[in-house]
Amino acid sequence: MKKVLEARGVVKVFEEGSQKVEVLRGVSMEVSAGEVVALEGPSGSGKTTLLSILGCILTPTRGEVTVAGETIDPSRPSQLRDVRRRSIGFVFQQYNLFPALTALENVEYALNVKGRTGRGAHDEAESALVRVGLADRMHFLPRDLSGGQKQRVAIARALAGSPEVLLADEPTANLDSVVGASVLELFRDLAKRESKGLLIVTHDPKVRDIADRVVGIRDGRLAA
Amino acid sequence: MVSLARKNLLHDRTRFVITVSGVAFAVTLVLVQVGLFMGLLDKATVTIRNAEADVWVTSHQTPNVDFAHAFPETTVLRVRGVPGVARADNLIIAFMNIQLPSGAEEGCLVYALDDFAGWNLPWKVNEGQVADLGRGRYMFMDRSAVRRFGPFSVGDYREVLGRRFKIIGTTSEAASFTTAPIVFMDYGNAQELSQVLQGKTSYILVKAAPGADPQAVAAAIRRVVPYNDVYTKAEWAQRSRSYWVVSTGLGMNMGVTVFLGILVGIVVVAQTLYTSAVEHMKEFGTVKAIGGSNWDIYRILGEQALIAATVGFAVGGVISWALRPAMATLHLNVLVSPSFAAAVFVGTLLMCLGAALFSFRRVAGIDPALVFRS
Repeated sequence: MKKVLEARGVVKVFEEGSQKVEVLRGVSMEVSAGEVVALEGPSGSGKTTLLSILGCILTPTRGEVTVAGETIDPSRPSQLRDVRRRSIGFVFQQYNLFPALTALENVEYALNVKGRTGRGAHDEAESALVRVGLADRMHFLPRDLSGGQKQRVAIARALAGSPEVLLADEPTANLDSVVGASVLELFRDLAKRESKGLLIVTHDPKVRDIADRVVGIRDGRLAA
Repeated sequence: MVSLARKNLLHDRTRFVITVSGVAFAVTLVLVQVGLFMGLLDKATVTIRNAEADVWVTSHQTPNVDFAHAFPETTVLRVRGVPGVARADNLIIAFMNIQLPSGAEEGCLVYALDDFAGWNLPWKVNEGQVADLGRGRYMFMDRSAVRRFGPFSVGDYREVLGRRFKIIGTTSEAASFTTAPIVFMDYGNAQELSQVLQGKTSYILVKAAPGADPQAVAAAIRRVVPYNDVYTKAEWAQRSRSYWVVSTGLGMNMGVTVFLGILVGIVVVAQTLYTSAVEHMKEFGTVKAIGGSNWDIYRILGEQALIAATVGFAVGGVISWALRPAMATLHLNVLVSPSFAAAVFVGTLLMCLGAALFSFRRVAGIDPALVFRS
């Protein structure tokens, strides 16, 4: 399987005044196309920092990250942005939908940011929403959608533009267990069907059921 | 293309109304205040613009057309001899007292000429024949005098400096910056009224010969009347306007009003856009996380500023337009030329974009990692 996400010896040190806090201590991991990986760990273990680095939002202090075959150069912020735009789809715990935009517009706007406009973007947004089962909710504002529906819109937004990597931060944290399970099933099916590498950061034990592999992280190191 | 800027702006209707109200207030303030000022200035030069004179000869240092000083009327003979001069006539403009039927006295501004028709004065006659003014103690009175002098009609008599004059006609649009109503009478009659005007005139109106350059004619006249000032029509209108703008402080007053209008607009727009930007920080963080740049966010704020400017200008423009009839009942003319309206629109756009810059600074440092914070 083609590796779509790789971290090699990633170290992240945050400086707070004169203090240095080493949050990640030489993390190496990989995610392949069509693979679902769960990243588990207690609060403060460094899992969100690792997700941010793998998502090209933060840069590592040391180590190397490769996304969709492209090695990230931390000294080039524009490359980080380009990789996020081209190769990564995010799903957030709080959904992070734009409240003033309908479900369809939320997905289409993400495509606009990625440089796709016009009829093509509109049609692709519609297609993404159909794939997550929201064909009849396209013109609803987020406030008129349930939690599960909002997260489906977020998944459609992440899928839009066909990124090779999907990163999800606690996607079921705000959903009840039944809805959470169905969202995870959907997420997994789409990732498999569309050959995306899916990394889910979670506390939710249900994620174990749908993941191909579970990686634990404690005190900035991957657990054996 | 989905406009997050427009959708966000309209999503929070209360804030949008406040923003547009701020812009509309500023636009209305500037349009009405400056429009009133322009309307007043228009009165300051209305006779200069309508009189068919290419060059005006005045006494030395005459500040504006209403505040004339007398000089020897024989000066006109020298002016008539200047090459390039087709015609030159004396014109008296003088403040005189007029007695009203109530017994009260008011001031009026007398325009006196031998041949009114030859100079297109008055330019809008409602009743009567201007040529009859020379046939006796007759006068034309502008309709705007009703406000100061009370009702009058053709055939009525009024005393000017103690002499009875019959009103034989009425005019419109003849106005002075000083608001003193304008009365037209024969040149000789005006001179008889005042010792000061015996053998004197206030101005010499000059018509340039066909094909002659008024600038060159004015320069030639200056050489023969060294104790007078000589202006082309445009120069004289500019001097009259400048007097009221600079000497009276009206220009400064307008400047302060415009400044305050712009300040209010900037503060309101900056405040609402900034608050909106702060409240949408997480959304902007999301824009960045999914691959957007600072410029994408600047574009959102800039587009919101432009929408607020356009809608605010439209609302302010409509309010200003709607105020015109009310102003007219107070005899105030709000004069807004298309070029001035266009300038205010461009100014409004710049004002709102300037206000958006405050928000640019705030969003420039947004960390996309905030999307992971709950």
